[in-house]
Amino acid sequence: MSEDFIRELVAGSLERIRAARSIEELEAARVEVLGRKGTLTAASKDMGKLAPEERSAFGKLLNGAKQTLEQAYETRKQHFGEEALARRLDAEWLDLTLPAPGPRRGHLHPITHIQRELEELFSSLGFAVLDGPEVETEYHNFDALNIPATHPARDMQDTFWLEGGSLLRTHTSPVQVRGMERLGPPLRMIAPGRAFRNESVDASHEHTFYQLEGMMVDRDVSVAHLLYFMKTLLAAIFHREVTVRLRPGYFPFVEPGFELDIQCLICGGSGCAVCKQSGWVELLPCGLVNPNVLRMSGIDPAEWGGFAFGLGLTRLAMMRYGIDDIRYLQGGDLRFLEQF
Amino acid sequence: MKFSYNWIRELVEGLDCAPAPLERLITMKTAECEGIETAGALLAGAVIARVETAEPAGGGHNVTAIVGLGPLGRKTVVCGAPNCRPGVATVWAPVGKKTIDGVESDGMLASGAELGINRDHAGIFEIDGAPGAPVPGCAPDSIIEIDNKSITHRPDLWGHIGMAREVAAITGYKLIDPVKPDLLPPGASRVRIAIQDLDLCPRYSALEFDNVKVQASPAWLQYRLSALGLNPISNIVDMTNLLMAELAQPMHAFDADLLSGDTIFIRPARPGERFRALNDEEYTLDESNLVIADASGAIALAGVIGGASTAISETTTRVVLESANFQAASIRKTSSAIKLRTDASIRFEKAQDPANTVRALARAVELLREISPGIRVVGGVADQRKDLPGPPPIELRLEWLGRKLGRALAPNEVRRILERLEFGVAEPKPGVFSVSVPSWRATKDVSMADDLVEEVGRMVGYDTIAPVAPLVAAAVPPANPERKFQHEVRDVLVDLGFTEVYNYSFVNEEAVRAFGFDPAECVRVTNPIASDQALLRASLLPGLWRNIQENSKHREVFRIFEIGLEIHKRPQGLPEEVPHLVAAVFARQGDGAAGLDEIRHAAECLMPGAQAQPAAARSYEHPARAADVLWKGERVGRVFELHPSLVETGRAALLDLDLDRVRALASAELRYTPIRRYPSSAFDLSVIAGLREPAGELQSKVQSFAGPLVETIEFLRQYSGPPLEAGQKSVSFRLTAGSPDRTLSNDETSAIRARIIEGMRALGYELRV
Repeated sequence: MSEDFIRELVAGSLERIRAARSIEELEAARVEVLGRKGTLTAASKDMGKLAPEERSAFGKLLNGAKQTLEQAYETRKQHFGEEALARRLDAEWLDLTLPAPGPRRGHLHPITHIQRELEELFSSLGFAVLDGPEVETEYHNFDALNIPATHPARDMQDTFWLEGGSLLRTHTSPVQVRGMERLGPPLRMIAPGRAFRNESVDASHEHTFYQLEGMMVDRDVSVAHLLYFMKTLLAAIFHREVTVRLRPGYFPFVEPGFELDIQCLICGGSGCAVCKQSGWVELLPCGLVNPNVLRMSGIDPAEWGGFAFGLGLTRLAMMRYGIDDIRYLQGGDLRFLEQF
Repeated sequence: MKFSYNWIRELVEGLDCAPAPLERLITMKTAECEGIETAGALLAGAVIARVETAEPAGGGHNVTAIVGLGPLGRKTVVCGAPNCRPGVATVWAPVGKKTIDGVESDGMLASGAELGINRDHAGIFEIDGAPGAPVPGCAPDSIIEIDNKSITHRPDLWGHIGMAREVAAITGYKLIDPVKPDLLPPGASRVRIAIQDLDLCPRYSALEFDNVKVQASPAWLQYRLSALGLNPISNIVDMTNLLMAELAQPMHAFDADLLSGDTIFIRPARPGERFRALNDEEYTLDESNLVIADASGAIALAGVIGGASTAISETTTRVVLESANFQAASIRKTSSAIKLRTDASIRFEKAQDPANTVRALARAVELLREISPGIRVVGGVADQRKDLPGPPPIELRLEWLGRKLGRALAPNEVRRILERLEFGVAEPKPGVFSVSVPSWRATKDVSMADDLVEEVGRMVGYDTIAPVAPLVAAAVPPANPERKFQHEVRDVLVDLGFTEVYNYSFVNEEAVRAFGFDPAECVRVTNPIASDQALLRASLLPGLWRNIQENSKHREVFRIFEIGLEIHKRPQGLPEEVPHLVAAVFARQGDGAAGLDEIRHAAECLMPGAQAQPAAARSYEHPARAADVLWKGERVGRVFELHPSLVETGRAALLDLDLDRVRALASAELRYTPIRRYPSSAFDLSVIAGLREPAGELQSKVQSFAGPLVETIEFLRQYSGPPLEAGQKSVSFRLTAGSPDRTLSNDETSAIRARIIEGMRALGYELRV
């Protein structure tokens, strides 16, 4: 047993470890040298035969040799482990360009999109979102809005009458009345919903449409305040500053009453087909609440005033998305609905 | 309402604003204009021409005419009109040269219709006058069309004088009143008037004429009416129409020789009274209809239409001219009841000015002298009226006005604006105006200070008001939990792949019956747009059914949903409106099981722990695939496959939920339960049961023996086949048991298990353990 033998043993074993081509060959090499019956183990057992003064140096040599070989073994073993993992993972290749299974996300109706956006906007401005029935009383739909039975303004709203004398609401304005009755002043509210007019359906007319009614009742509400809210609203809807103008409009429940126009967003006011060369697009009717309307809902017009407006959600959706045929909105055709 | 620009110019002295800018001014200050059309374009440069010779041209009807234009020389014109003969005076229009039948034709001879003077196409327009002279009173015009809705409240704007007054106020020019009141003849009237109810007829004025010659109106009058879309008829009738368009006062002419007696009665119709109108319709009237009558009966339906029996004809020589005022509501009621809206009723229902009746008669005297030469007024004006106090002045506090508009205004400016609109302004105290309302604005339109806010606001210009944010208390708005919940439901469904549809509230009887409803139980529309849209939906299913049928033409698989209101009839009051969700999964391929899985999964996502409880199928449901949906013990809806006979191209699984009920259950307050500190133990049980015994029911039975320590019972799997007998299945559940304050001993767990097994065996079930 000589030091040279150990050195040769180490050199030979290192070569075998490096040359091992599989984890099995590596393991065989390890057992042969480092195993319980391995050459190096045997050599350490023989150490007792050495003279005491030689033992220490030989022991160091043996320990060094053992460490060197174990390290080489571990390195090589790790290599095989990594290789095996890499092979396994490679075998797990998947085509990630295939469409993911399961249904695609569905789509909200375009009116729902617009309506929600406005509900959130007005909620953030402190407006309550109110609902009212689609089948209304004549009182709430007309009389309480300053439109008595003999008023010619009733002709402006072709009405679906129901047996028993009720009607399908011709606008969302009756919710104003219900809001005033329920909440009293001061009041800020909107009422989005479905309304009905008895007219024939074509690409630009519907008997069923969607409106958003808005109302504010407080002390000293002015045309200037109305303008402020309308500009704020429209900037949020169109995601940019819009130029608006008010001109006289007649609606029995407001006095003064206005038509609010916006400067055409297509041509910027220079005139185009969308605005019929006028530079302006009629967008919504509004006005200061008629004192008779306040009075009928139990609010004293000497103390309180208000403004009201009605926004056509159907029209807004058509403008926003460039929809050219109103009938798609209630047609239920997925080829249309899936675009939103 | 159509307005002639030329006419307005005649009524506003010096008006130099062109039609287009004038239209914009009117839109911004008064009423909405819908556009401008040109009338009488061919009249540009047109002159009177006399046909000198007319020789046949080519082989057809055409003639080659030499026409004399006086100082403008002669023209050769090829003309096809049958009345193009030598000696005829007509109108020549300079439309350029063109070769017709080999002849160079210079300009054209035009018919009344081509010129826009009347509707006569039969031949060239015949007119007396000096050749070469322009056609008197006939020049190209711009017709400004005003949206009728925007002048619903303005009786005065249904005549040119009203619009001219607005234009004068806007532009600062002077209004010319065409009425000369001193033309009204003094003295007693031959006609007697008997108004039965002065509320229904606040004023009735009449004037008699004789030596009347009924003939065609002069060209200018025919043209003026035609330009406004009215049909020229005869001089007398045309005159009444002209005054209606000018003064907004509808009038009617009776043939005096056809009247019975000398009294005109204004009274409610007798029940069942029959009346033949000028439109040749016969109406059966009742007491709600106001009529004009003579001794023989109704001769006009007040404010709506004249009668056939006293109509003006070519033989008429004596005329009684009516100029009256009627209660707006009464006219409107009659006109809607008999479904006849006339130019007169449209005006009267806006509440016309009673002061206008005699003004119109004065103007009629002037016009009739021109268009029916030799006519004579007989007697004075008959005039019966209600004594109406003038409207009280309106107090207008300028500080309040400023607060309403949101901008301050100089008192002088407010005064100037109101006075230009012919309001009377006094200032009894500084800063407070006392405003008197002119009669033509006082009937309905202006009655309170708020109305004056509009007058001042529109004239000063709303564009002079700067937006201002109001100072209001910051407050959290009242919540709307119903709406919020519906939005949450929408989001869940969209995430699961469902697309939202909107359907009409109207359904037809066939669809109602197909979904098991009795049409008599649905709310009915009395005036539906079509007979198949006469019922209101008491279920959203018919709408979704239609969507399924339509979309199945284009799609193999799809998922749709709708949230909307079911409308249910109630014995009294408004119907009940119940928000519902309906959702559907359609697949063209497969046996429908996957769709039902998916729709049940959607229900589970909306209502964790919801269960289906098999129930007898309804007629539109697959007979073996229908269940109630139970959540927290309450029945909230229905899950089923649509009966395959209703959807032949595939299978449709549906869910129908009452969202009010679901929301009530969903909104229970959440309370935290501490996480268990002691481990639970689990064991499995398999129950042998008949193949069609629902697993959910087996689970409920297992549950009933479980006791308080069982935390969960979970369905694991089911199996049928050997070694089980045919017609049997084994349904496996995993149970976990535990306690919040200790770990259960093996004995306790075994006891629970034994109790369940024993209980189930007592019910006749075999268990595989």
